[in-house]
Amino acid sequence: MFCEKATELIRELHRASDGQLPSYNEDGIRQVLEEMKALYEQNQSDVNEAKSGHSELIPTIKFRHCSLLRNRRCVLAYLYDRLLRIRALRWEYGSVLPNAVRFQMSADEVLWFNQYKKSLATYMRSLGGGDGLDLTQDIKPPKSLYIEVRCLKDYGEFEIDDGTTILLKKNSQHFLPRWKCEQLIRQGILEHVLS
Amino acid sequence: MEASEVEFLAEQEPVTIIPNFSLDRIYLIGGDLGPFNPGLPVQVPLWLAINLKQRQKCRLIPPEWMDVEKLEQIREQERNEATFTPMPSPYYMEFTKLLLNYAADNIPKADEIRTLVKDTWDTRIAKLRLSADSFVRQQEAHARLDNLTLMEINTTGPFLTQALDHMYKLRTNLQPGGSAQSQDF
Amino acid sequence: QGTKLELPLWLAKGLYNNKQKILSVELPTVYKESWRTVFSADANVVDLHKLGPYYYAFGSQMLNFDSPENAELAQTILQTFISRFRRIMDSSQNAFNEDTSALVARLDETERGLFQAGQKGLNDFQSWEMGQASQITASSLVQNYRKRKHSELDA
Repeated sequence: MFCEKATELIRELHRASDGQLPSYNEDGIRQVLEEMKALYEQNQSDVNEAKSGHSELIPTIKFRHCSLLRNRRCVLAYLYDRLLRIRALRWEYGSVLPNAVRFQMSADEVLWFNQYKKSLATYMRSLGGGDGLDLTQDIKPPKSLYIEVRCLKDYGEFEIDDGTTILLKKNSQHFLPRWKCEQLIRQGILEHVLS
Repeated sequence: MEASEVEFLAEQEPVTIIPNFSLDRIYLIGGDLGPFNPGLPVQVPLWLAINLKQRQKCRLIPPEWMDVEKLEQIREQERNEATFTPMPSPYYMEFTKLLLNYAADNIPKADEIRTLVKDTWDTRIAKLRLSADSFVRQQEAHARLDNLTLMEINTTGPFLTQALDHMYKLRTNLQPGGSAQSQDF
Repeated sequence: QGTKLELPLWLAKGLYNNKQKILSVELPTVYKESWRTVFSADANVVDLHKLGPYYYAFGSQMLNFDSPENAELAQTILQTFISRFRRIMDSSQNAFNEDTSALVARLDETERGLFQAGQKGLNDFQSWEMGQASQITASSLVQNYRKRKHSELDA
């Protein structure tokens, strides 16, 4: 049966719910594209036959054509859904992705991510009368400028506003400017402690 | 919208405080604040009131409606009427939560107030569900949701709009040549 | 000619043509008259997941094939949703900390989406009430990644 590989691609993403990024299925995509190529070539020659009178071929041609369209739809859905997930990473993790996530992406996806990152940065720099504005900050309305945080893992040295550095050691607790640590919280390095 | 965003909007609402410090008027984009004189009541946005209260710089005057007798009346009225009754403040839930959490010592009978407001909320949400169900059952085209507050709408909104969306699609199925045909597979 | 085949919907739809009649489509059992009677008796007792799991979406698509039963089918699908609506809403709004898995297991995929939207509204509100709404939290991706690592260790 045609289109089985393509459906498998969709299932793969469907199983990984919650915006997780499964590794790019290069092999699956290649197989679908090969199937599409074969369908196309067979149809080309049958279309010529049909034109010269073999109209009994028309249902078969139609069948292959449907399969082609179905394959295309699945591949596009697969690629597009992945792009949406990758775009969300920029807002959740920040501009530097952990290796574990990057290894899941194809070379083209990495390229796309870098370009998205760049155009977002350009846009954010242009805001606020040229001063720039980080749109990924303060996703929730802030209650205070400083917040209490606890370290969940050893992170190392961390420079704060006034130029001093502090050591972020596992289980140590700090009182830091909110904008400095929001991203580290989202990355799971710090934990926001509510007073 | 998230509940924290609704709360943020509520924090712009004015509330009266009695400061224990003095400070000249300050000019902000969102409006001028002060001047502050010890012992003289002054209106400030809720966010500032709470911030000052946390630093023990003021005493909060609860809004007029935050009173056991008045709230009992509101609760009874809400229970007796089929439609939503007007609330004393469009942010009654947010006010209750913030004031009782940060300034309970300035509010007489804080615990009773908490219960009364919660009862009223529960009654209203149950009503909202009831009317949503009859709305769906009778396949109405529109509904009046007067007097609902933002927090109430926000809690059930995504569910309701999604459900109505779905029902709309199923209804277009009833007409031959409805939307299903245009969706290609 | 005359052979019965099982085809995926996308293919049947592509090959179906009113004029040329390459194929005609038989309704899947769950949309046939006998099941329609069950649905109209009490749609709440039906396990739509087992019968579906895309009962509404698939049923709507079946209307693409001109069948004399189309009008009734469309009506049944709509009425099914209307009668199941209340239970989905109530359980999604009341079920904080209660076990709803038995109910959710019987919902069709569209209904599950609705149920989740309802639960999210409720959970957001309750975490706000408990004062946790302003807490910045780790992204769900990070949390899931950590969970995965744990379960790998356990295994």
